[in-house]
Amino acid sequence: MPKSKERPQGHMSVCQEQKKGKHCPQRHKSIRQEQYNSKEILNLAVSMGEELLKNGGEIYRVQETVGRVMEAYGVWDYHVFVVTNGIFATVHEQGDDAGSMVRDVPLGDINLEKIAGINQLSREICQGSCSLKEAYRRLEQCKSASPLRDAFLVLACGVESAGFCFLLGGTPFDSIFSFLLGLLLQAFLVAGTRRNVSKFLLNILGSAWVTAGSLMLYGMGLDVQSDRIIIGGIIVLMPGVALVTGIRD
Amino acid sequence: MIVQLVVAVISTLAFAVLFHVPKQEYLYCAVNGGLGWMVYKLSLGCGFGVPVSSLWATLTLTLVARILSALRKMPSTVFLLAGIFTLVPGSGVYYTAYYLIMNELSKCTAKGIETFKVAGAIVLGIIFGLALPQSWFNRLGRLTDKKGASRKV
Repeated sequence: MPKSKERPQGHMSVCQEQKKGKHCPQRHKSIRQEQYNSKEILNLAVSMGEELLKNGGEIYRVQETVGRVMEAYGVWDYHVFVVTNGIFATVHEQGDDAGSMVRDVPLGDINLEKIAGINQLSREICQGSCSLKEAYRRLEQCKSASPLRDAFLVLACGVESAGFCFLLGGTPFDSIFSFLLGLLLQAFLVAGTRRNVSKFLLNILGSAWVTAGSLMLYGMGLDVQSDRIIIGGIIVLMPGVALVTGIRD
Repeated sequence: MIVQLVVAVISTLAFAVLFHVPKQEYLYCAVNGGLGWMVYKLSLGCGFGVPVSSLWATLTLTLVARILSALRKMPSTVFLLAGIFTLVPGSGVYYTAYYLIMNELSKCTAKGIETFKVAGAIVLGIIFGLALPQSWFNRLGRLTDKKGASRKV
């Protein structure tokens, strides 16, 4: 049994004893402490859900994670409602409204490492091997996990563009140019994200850039299939992730 | 064919990097993507159409992703997302828009409908794959649990 799972129950029994007594000076205090507790749990669960949603987790995963974390810490009377960009949750304790929480979650970059990390954390919480304090620490650790270096991402994008250009019928010669355009595209995307340019604008400018680049190569009289190069380049901008997560929800 | 497979594996690996997949899972992601592309190509070779081939490939991808997720204790999305990109009809979307702009409307419609079919096939493949009960995969997961436990001891 985890410590934190026992704690709310312990408080509950103290509370009930005090309710039976005629006067109990400590009653108010202990109830408040318990409220504080369920609020803490709520906060942890919703923060975990927020992190999942922000990094591209599906709605059902967020809902299930928040619910499981609450149950693992002994809060059974709760309601969670998740939409694509927000989380609403309330906790009831002995019929009193002990707390509610609303989070607005803007969509961020896909980061499966964080999702995997939080998944692992929630699994450990469910097994009861993680105290509330420890869980908070781990959550912070997950949040601040250092992202890959940008150069790595840029390289990956280039490789991916070249690969898709080849798979979709391009020649190795086309792939070389696709690689270069992919490198520049991701460099552009990274720079844009740094400056908080909207995703919509980045997508339009990015695909325009790839198209212009490949047409320029074509115009220079090189023997390239510009359509293959464009497709290879814009695959990165495809809403494939939205497709998959959308289906699962 | 082998060159195609290698390229598909490498492309999926690149996508895995772009999506920040945990480093120890890169290999599994890439293999899954290569497998999906292989099934797609083989199915095309057997005379199935593009949408049906996408369906088979997505079904395989989803099942393998679920098996891997049980074995590796990871969300199945980790293995699915990067792999599915080899099948997303990127060229279909491109040609639909291209013919629309070039005012070749009949070609545009044909491409658009085909793209729509492929997208539908991918959706169906994922839904079928996810509809299988989790308990089957959990049994696989327990196998690795025991192994992991004995390793720790």
